[in-house]
Amino acid sequence: MPRLVPARFFALMLPALCFAAPALADDAKGDPKVGHALVYTCGGCHGVTGYRNAYPNYRVPRIAGQNYDYLVNALTEYKKGERAHPTMRAQGESLSDQDIKNIAAYLSSINP
Amino acid sequence: MKTIFVIATLACGFVFNASAAEGGAAPGKSAEELSKPCAACHGADGNGTNAQYPRLAGQYHDYLARALQEYKTGERQNAIMQGFVKTLSEADIQELANYYQQMPGKLDDLAHHEQGSEK
Repeated sequence: MPRLVPARFFALMLPALCFAAPALADDAKGDPKVGHALVYTCGGCHGVTGYRNAYPNYRVPRIAGQNYDYLVNALTEYKKGERAHPTMRAQGESLSDQDIKNIAAYLSSINP
Repeated sequence: MKTIFVIATLACGFVFNASAAEGGAAPGKSAEELSKPCAACHGADGNGTNAQYPRLAGQYHDYLARALQEYKTGERQNAIMQGFVKTLSEADIQELANYYQQMPGKLDDLAHHEQGSEK
């Protein structure tokens, strides 16, 4: 029966090492503490209970407690102009990718 | 003879009613029925655990309705949502939006969660 020599053992481990690296990169979630300070601006509309968007008229969404990935995607879409709302687009453009992650980390951490 | 005529008229009435109820334009699908396809991603309770998809439970109904209308007109682009809204009437959209707003969930206004404004 052939013994597992070190070189062969390393070859077997290689795929596992390759998988480990992207997994670490994905974990770079935002910092909720930094996000907490950043949401000051959002409160102008989203912090007023029942605040209404004008033309068309509908209430701005509740965003506290919303899911992290969805929030990152929504803000990024506004930033890129893929979602049309003028005010949110301007907000998105003023935010860095890291700001967006931090805001999403804070908002998704809220558990009323 | 008169009796037969009455029975025949009643029978016609029943047949007519039944076919109207089965027709495509039948009004009033219940919210439970309408929400079945939504549940796959957003959860049966509107609090789906896959973070890619938004929580719907407790969201303002007029925001939800607006989002669905924007998907329908193409103003908001999302391949998955575009497919689902196609079959929804304006009445269906209102029905669904009300259904999800009254569900209990985590969503809240930011009012008590800004720095310096915590409870």
